[in-house]
Amino acid sequence: MFKKKKAAASPIAAVNTYVPVDTDFVLKDDLSDLEIDTNFKAQSFWKEVSYRFFRKGSAVFGMIMILLITVMAIIGPSMNDYTYSGQNLAEKSLAPRVQGLEKIGIFDGSEKMNTINGVQIVNNYKDKGLDDTYYWFGSDNFGRDIWTRTWHGARVSLIIAVVAAVIDMIIGMSYGLISGYFGGKTDMVMQRILEIANSIPRLVIVTLLLLVFKPGMLTIIIALMLTEWVGMSRIARAEMLKLKEQEFVLASRTLGAGSFHIIFREVLPNIIGPIITQVMFSIPTAIFTEAFLSFVGLGIPVPQCSLGSLISDGFNSFTTHPYQIVAPILVMALLMLSFNLVADGLREALDPKMKGM
Amino acid sequence: MAEYNEKILDIKNLDITFKTIAGPIHAIRGINVDLMKGETVAIVGESGSGKSVTMKAAMGILAQNAVVNSGTIEFTYIGDNGEKETVDILKQSKTWIRKNINGRRISMVFQDPMTSLDPTMNIGKQIMEGMIWHYKTPKQEAYDKAVQLLKEVGIEDAEKRMKNYPHQLSGGMRQRVVIAIALACDPDLLICDEPTTALDVTIQAKILELIKKVQRERGISVIYITHDLGVVAKVADYVNVMYAGKIVETGKINEIYYDPRHPYTWGLLSAMPDLDTDDDRLYTIPGSPPNLIREPAGDAFAMRNRQALVVDDKVDAPMFKITDTHYAATWLLDPRAPKVEMPIELKHRIERMKKEAEDYGSTI
Amino acid sequence: MKKYVAKRVITAIFTLLVILLVLFILMQLMPGSPFNDEKLTADQKAALYAKYGLDQPVVVQFFHYVVNMLRGDFGVSYKISKNTPIAQLIAVRLPVSIAIGGYAVALGALVGLILGLIAALRRDTILDTLCTVISVIGVSVPSYVFALALSFQFGYKWHLFPMLYNTAEALNSSVLPSVSLSMFTMASIARFTRTEMLEVMGSEYMLLAESKGISGGALIFRHALRNALIPIITVLAPLIVDLMTGSLVVEKIFSIPGVGSLLVNAIQSNDYNVVISLSFIYSAMYIAIMLVVDILYGIIDPRIRLAKDDA
Repeated sequence: MFKKKKAAASPIAAVNTYVPVDTDFVLKDDLSDLEIDTNFKAQSFWKEVSYRFFRKGSAVFGMIMILLITVMAIIGPSMNDYTYSGQNLAEKSLAPRVQGLEKIGIFDGSEKMNTINGVQIVNNYKDKGLDDTYYWFGSDNFGRDIWTRTWHGARVSLIIAVVAAVIDMIIGMSYGLISGYFGGKTDMVMQRILEIANSIPRLVIVTLLLLVFKPGMLTIIIALMLTEWVGMSRIARAEMLKLKEQEFVLASRTLGAGSFHIIFREVLPNIIGPIITQVMFSIPTAIFTEAFLSFVGLGIPVPQCSLGSLISDGFNSFTTHPYQIVAPILVMALLMLSFNLVADGLREALDPKMKGM
Repeated sequence: MAEYNEKILDIKNLDITFKTIAGPIHAIRGINVDLMKGETVAIVGESGSGKSVTMKAAMGILAQNAVVNSGTIEFTYIGDNGEKETVDILKQSKTWIRKNINGRRISMVFQDPMTSLDPTMNIGKQIMEGMIWHYKTPKQEAYDKAVQLLKEVGIEDAEKRMKNYPHQLSGGMRQRVVIAIALACDPDLLICDEPTTALDVTIQAKILELIKKVQRERGISVIYITHDLGVVAKVADYVNVMYAGKIVETGKINEIYYDPRHPYTWGLLSAMPDLDTDDDRLYTIPGSPPNLIREPAGDAFAMRNRQALVVDDKVDAPMFKITDTHYAATWLLDPRAPKVEMPIELKHRIERMKKEAEDYGSTI
Repeated sequence: MKKYVAKRVITAIFTLLVILLVLFILMQLMPGSPFNDEKLTADQKAALYAKYGLDQPVVVQFFHYVVNMLRGDFGVSYKISKNTPIAQLIAVRLPVSIAIGGYAVALGALVGLILGLIAALRRDTILDTLCTVISVIGVSVPSYVFALALSFQFGYKWHLFPMLYNTAEALNSSVLPSVSLSMFTMASIARFTRTEMLEVMGSEYMLLAESKGISGGALIFRHALRNALIPIITVLAPLIVDLMTGSLVVEKIFSIPGVGSLLVNAIQSNDYNVVISLSFIYSAMYIAIMLVVDILYGIIDPRIRLAKDDA
């Protein structure tokens, strides 16, 4: 029974070779640590969540990208002298050209053109004598600066997505919380309504709305509002059902708190995590919906632009001037990816069970 | 009673670490357990002490992030050629274990019958599956045997129940089905992981009775994993008390109950609810089991021990021999240690238990 | 089970009626509807009203409307293709859309399931990471970006597949649109399969099955996949519907003569009758798919199949 552990076999536990001496064999006087449970150090929930979140590389990447794109959406359009709607037909369809980078042979304003004589490399800046003109992302078919338009479009898309997501959150959350809290007949009726609302395809809701309203930012936001709240309310309801039976809710009910107080003051703060996660997931959906509406010509009316309408514009000449579509597509894909990564990271940080032992 | 001369399972120096996101967890820290044919051994400890992990290692169903640092698990059985064979399960491939050990020679009954049955397969199929898998038993024969098994574990209307799905059965019934599944291939060893914890108190005794009956009739060995000393008292021949991945005291059932030596065992016994105690406050062991991510240098129980010695914080105690069968890992047994008695309340309680046992002639 | 099915069917019918009611009201309100045409004389209007039963009480009108819609009598188009019955317009285009959507669902579900399985079974390996990356990109990048990229690379540069839809070689020209449409389905299914499989594989019944000695394919297909599939089926329905949305754009990119492009045309040219008919078709299809999926769910899950009907 005294077999010693093979030292090499156990890389983790260093073998303790201490040989006890006589003075060790006395009772410990100090038993003050006896009642103190050191295993569960008071670490706040949010501290742990943020620790888990920031340890995940992809989530941090997503967060940085979102911040970066948001900052660019704010300052990008004013970083040069072009405006998002200013046209200059003399300078149309110019390839990207950036000061400095042009010297090393990239972004020097040249592009490949398919001509009858085969593929040729042309530089429209030189051909047109525009030596001091720089379009960082190139210019479009109307001679508008794609850099300015891309960041302006990102701004519009972000505003639509965030506003829609926040409104969804408020509506869906309230609906779900109320339905879950009152239960019984209220819940039954509210859930049947939800089921029916959920059985109408999003596309149909959007199209019908477009029949009633004119295309524009508000219509898109309303459309998103009408379609996205269902998912949010499901989550809120499920969380409410979980929490409703817990002691702190019962306690505040016995203390005579009103339903409204319990729902929004007691339960709401405890479910904010899953709710934020769901908001993060619904933002890329909103961006996508806006983009697809714009793409089929039902989105933001000209001269306003969004990422979707830019992609739609670029599509018309994407075989001849591919750069016109690259910038908005990259920004949109990055934005959607980043929101998804952040949402994923948040979900895992809030619910570490998903990746346990 | 079966003869206790053949060793069937021998776990030596088992040492297991789990790799987790939070860091390595040294869950099993060099334990020794052995088991004779026909015998019943209980492994007792709080949750997280590593009881289940030990037995999962014996079944070859450890989680993927478990690393076995050292040790052997030797299992002796009658091989396909009719001769006795001994293998170290830890050295065998997963495929070999699945083919030769799992279900056929060692079976397991899990804690929660609500979650341990496949919800999408009827129970007949779940019982027959193992037989058909291991022995290619013809379907009709497997069916008949499954019905027989259901009757053996005390399920009425066995034929009808074969077609039922788990959700149609009550908790106690499900646990009977789980036992039937475990017995389907006539194993030599049954591992019961908290077999009654998830059940109603009224059902618990019945399930324990059933396992005892099956053991008697089939002459198989049983290992109980439990935190409930009450269960242990009813069923076990030998007891291993486990704490923080180590066995801290081992002995025959009477030795553990009437002559406990380790302060942790004292704690467990004191914490057993008991109607006769004069003391009106329920004893609990202070604190909670240590988090093995930060492995303590000395005795892992020291910080929860009212009788801790200075040496406990410096180095872990070795196993001290008390009798041929009774060992405990506490420095209190060192000749240099001061004389420390078990708590007086516990002493009274044990005397009472002894007296009761004499009065009623029960095993302990 | 009977009760479960009955409940679903009733909900489906009721939902369809609600949608029809909304469409009916919109039809009445629409400024550009044929009955509000200002050029019509009073007599002509009266004749039209009589013909369509508009002189009758609203409830009767609605009843007629429902019957007509269900019979497939959607009226005629006013703008896109004057006086052509809408049913005829749709009949030509619907099969094209359904075929492409069908390929996309089949492809996406199959590949997604395989990817998710691989990721779950080879958890925390490079394969898992790869599958996760693929699925995150698939979920994040809209289908039409894939469509553009594929059409640029495979159509424009390499000439492997036609860039535009060609009825003469329908199958060949369905490849690119189907692939681009399937990406989202594939990614979502892959993700969901992975999560579900991991959850199932961590469950006690899998441990019990393993402790019985079951291993390999039998363990995965008989126990794990069967249980993981149940929730996967539920997410399939919304995904199919997402395909419908995506198909609008993809149909535009590849000039596919499907219902999606018809809808876009109709909205842009204010052909309300067509828009409303298509909305009805979409909703009916969606409700039908949901119903089928729900019933399928019931068949696979014994907990629902064997539920007592009086419960």
